[in-house]
Amino acid sequence: MRRYSPSYFVSQAFKGIFRNGVMSFASVAVLMSCLVVLGGFALLVHNINVNLEQFGLLNEIEVFVEYNATEEEILAIEEKIRSLDNVANVVRTTREEAFAEAKEEFDGMEQMFENDPEAVNRFSDSFTVTYADNDKVVTLAYLLNQIDGVRKVNNRMDLATTISSFKQGVLLIFTWFLLILLVVTLFVIINTIKLSVFSRRHEISIMRYVGATGWFITMPFILEGIIIGLFASTAAYFIERYFYFYVEKMVMSDLQMITMVPFEAVQMPLLYGFLGVGVLAGIVGSSISLGKYLKA
Amino acid sequence: MIEFKNVKKLYPNGTHALNGINLKIEDGEFVFVVGHSGAGKSTMMKLLLREEKLTSGRLKVGDYDLAKMSSFRVPYYRRELGVVFQDFRLFHDKTVYENVAFAMRAVGTPNKMIRRRVPAILNTVNLADKQKCFPKELSGGEQQRVALARALANNPKIILADEPTGNIDPQMSLEIMNLLVKINKLGKTVIVVTHEQSLVDYYKQRVVVLKDGVITEDRVGGMFE
Repeated sequence: MRRYSPSYFVSQAFKGIFRNGVMSFASVAVLMSCLVVLGGFALLVHNINVNLEQFGLLNEIEVFVEYNATEEEILAIEEKIRSLDNVANVVRTTREEAFAEAKEEFDGMEQMFENDPEAVNRFSDSFTVTYADNDKVVTLAYLLNQIDGVRKVNNRMDLATTISSFKQGVLLIFTWFLLILLVVTLFVIINTIKLSVFSRRHEISIMRYVGATGWFITMPFILEGIIIGLFASTAAYFIERYFYFYVEKMVMSDLQMITMVPFEAVQMPLLYGFLGVGVLAGIVGSSISLGKYLKA
Repeated sequence: MIEFKNVKKLYPNGTHALNGINLKIEDGEFVFVVGHSGAGKSTMMKLLLREEKLTSGRLKVGDYDLAKMSSFRVPYYRRELGVVFQDFRLFHDKTVYENVAFAMRAVGTPNKMIRRRVPAILNTVNLADKQKCFPKELSGGEQQRVALARALANNPKIILADEPTGNIDPQMSLEIMNLLVKINKLGKTVIVVTHEQSLVDYYKQRVVVLKDGVITEDRVGGMFE
């Protein structure tokens, strides 16, 4: 059994990279830029999803009953709400509880409430209705409005819809960017490897004449592509990490209503994703450049 | 044994390079293939190297049927051949030793074997003292001897030499030819494509004459006419 030395392939791959230093650098730079942009989009989409989920936790409709509703009427309303389709949970807040919450919220203005003995009557009992299916929320809101004794129905559907549309838009842009950038990256890698192959054409022809197999000839070039991919993905990871911390800091100080996923939670999938895309781009790029050399 | 049976080669541009070649070369033979430009010598070499596929007929080299051989087997077939070119095709950034070792490394020969075999081969071509030289430090004849050593590196059964003396002076040409004869005496089949009449006449080996893609003459101890 003949054996091939892995160190030979690796050394040849590095030689190829340094022989066409400028093109190799260009390949790494372009692939790295693509990965940073792709990673940025992926993180953005992920963060939107997490925020949407949080809004999802607020997949709640507030149902306010009439101010003068009796306990029996309120219980009947609750019964009706519970019987509706798409209702996952119902929690009642009495007017007294609502009043207490308001007092807490307007901390320091207790006097305003104390001077108004009717203040508690300005509140009404309410139900927090959690729904299961976002798509059926319009129907549910309508049905809740139809219940006798219901004064007002509030939901966050509009906000959720807006964010969802934004996410769809981002996803669309992300997909196009992904395609365009991958094509550009592949093009640059293909040219880099082609240059490498061209500068070693003499060597390749001798290898063919002495009976080197196709994979022996092509392996250094495939490895060259893989090394380019590895360099690009590692660099992209650290750049992305820096940007993420920067954005996180900015969001934490200026946009506190937005939740950002901690980088630690996404760093491994991001790194593996970068390595996967980088290495795959390297392999595909070099394989395309080497097509004819794989033939005897 | 090498056997051409009614071998034809038609190039896509319509050139009939070979028009039904019939030729049998036994193991251990020394054969000159001669002919003028366009006679079909290069095509014959390309078919033997499996750089080109024949259009029709049958070409057998040992156990290999070149007409039916899959691309996968081509590298393994080529290990049965040692090739020498007119322009040497050496690596100028590698020493003599590395040039020969390269051919062995390319087919996965273990380093231990390379270290043992390369000096022995260089000794066969009288270059034992030039192992560490770079090709540019050698004469044309010496460079061709390095190419010959490389051709021998994987212990092939057949040596194909395409105009091996085309780029070297007459004295060196004789040296190279003597080496090829020596290699032939070691039991290898040697096929030399050339148009140098004096060499062919001097060595009085079997001569196959090609003209317009057909063999017009095939004589042992023949002369170049």
